[in-house]
Amino acid sequence: MNDYILRTSHLTKKYRNDVALEDVNISIKKGEIYGFIGQNGAGKSTMLRIVTGLSFPSNGTIELFGNDHANMLTDAQKRIGAIIESPALFPNMTAYENLEVHRLQRGIPGKGCINKTLELVELNGTGKKKAKNFSLGMKQRLGLAIALLSDPEFLLLDEPTNGLDPMGIVELRELLKKLNREQGLTILISSHILSELHQLASRYGIIHKGRLLEEISAKELDEKCRQHLRIKVDQPTKGATVLESALSTSDYEVMPDGTIKLYSNLDNVRKVSMALTANNLVIEHLSQNGDSLESYFARVVGGEEHA
Amino acid sequence: MRNQLRAEWFKLQRNKTFWMLLLIITGLSALLHYLVIIEWWQMQGTDFDRAGLSELNATSAFTIPLLFNLIVSTLAGFFISHEFSQSGVIKNQIISGSKRSHIFISKYLVFTLGSIVVTILIPLTTGIIEIILLGHGDILTVSSMLYLGRASSLFVLQFLGYTAIIILIAITTEDSGKTIIFSILLTIVMFAFEKLPKPPLINMIYENSIFYQFHEVFKFSMTNDEMLKSILIGFVTFIIITLGGISIFNKKEMK
Repeated sequence: MNDYILRTSHLTKKYRNDVALEDVNISIKKGEIYGFIGQNGAGKSTMLRIVTGLSFPSNGTIELFGNDHANMLTDAQKRIGAIIESPALFPNMTAYENLEVHRLQRGIPGKGCINKTLELVELNGTGKKKAKNFSLGMKQRLGLAIALLSDPEFLLLDEPTNGLDPMGIVELRELLKKLNREQGLTILISSHILSELHQLASRYGIIHKGRLLEEISAKELDEKCRQHLRIKVDQPTKGATVLESALSTSDYEVMPDGTIKLYSNLDNVRKVSMALTANNLVIEHLSQNGDSLESYFARVVGGEEHA
Repeated sequence: MRNQLRAEWFKLQRNKTFWMLLLIITGLSALLHYLVIIEWWQMQGTDFDRAGLSELNATSAFTIPLLFNLIVSTLAGFFISHEFSQSGVIKNQIISGSKRSHIFISKYLVFTLGSIVVTILIPLTTGIIEIILLGHGDILTVSSMLYLGRASSLFVLQFLGYTAIIILIAITTEDSGKTIIFSILLTIVMFAFEKLPKPPLINMIYENSIFYQFHEVFKFSMTNDEMLKSILIGFVTFIIITLGGISIFNKKEMK
């Protein structure tokens, strides 16, 4: 059985002299929340537009729900919901009418789903108010309602927090978590702010200038971003024992290369150093490491730029 | 396809421009017909005169491409192009997983239906209603109704090709204003072709186009060959332009 919802292979998009996407290989498993991070113009929207059929790749293939043939891809797109760039709404229609258009387009039987979805995004009280009179946050929520109307299995959201206030961002995050947890909805969410996706995404893809630089799980990212002391001594096993006995801590890890990552006593480097040397250990390296989410992103992107 | 048709129909029913045009054309048509019937506006030498339907002379104003283009292009601009530009709702329709050809055909069919209602049905019905209400119902004989039926059917056939051209302009320009401007330019060029002297080849092409047929179909008497030619021109134009439109729409990158 194919566990992958989306897989791209060598996906490339060129516009005359510009390369918007280059050789992008992404794979998203069922049930994942995939955070797609990149600066403005990095290629996030281009990628999402190709997956949703709004644009066509210059090269490479897309496999959606295990289908990669053009005709079957169109069918597979029936199982997705998306907001690309900005919510696309009929300004002169109410929230209900906007959803009715989409219900008809998708052939969803019964009108019950409309009220249910409006309730989900808390727009059930908007009555006859036209979409053009909605606030930016309400428009975003209506866009989300359109994307969710058909009970999709895969949701693609392009910068969905644009225009949302801090409370709105938290509410959106909670709603997406709930949908992922309760309905097993797979989500691809793009943003240029890594911290915005933190607490939500289970895996990240970092894209820069059309190239996918790194795919990393949330756990790996947390580990990389967690502040620690990186210690290299001549006898790692003894070093670990000394840390436990002298500093009374077990909050450390011994890495395969013998390096010790100590997550406590960050403010007490001198004490750590003295404990190790007092036990006749030779300190080859001792430094404080760990990035903030932003600096990690900047390092990955910056590393690419300096390469 | 059925889903797309239902959605387009729903959108047309809620399109302000459509209702505005419907209201304006109903009022304008009623006024023009009234002025002609009370002989305040004396139009002479029209095809309707020759068919013994001079009370319907005001209808000829609505058969001039320069005039009906204003109606059709406005509807195209605000019903079709608008979805590509400001609101961008075309994206949702593509993402819905329907075939692009189905989306294009449903848009074309509903847009054409709306255009036919506003441009052909309303002027003709208001004219006939006024004729009856103002006591001239006796001119509506079997032969005059047959003429009206033949002329209107052939006109609708040419009109199908015309709306196919306009929707093609609408999806290519993706902008209401540009759609209206380019449509007006097209009809001005065709008007110039009609009025100005032209080389034989251009003349031959023009005389075999729907723009020439818009006048020809209202001739009081048409031979079978002329009718067949008119049907072929209308049908071939409609097929070629629609297939071209589908092909362009299939390859179109949605912004």
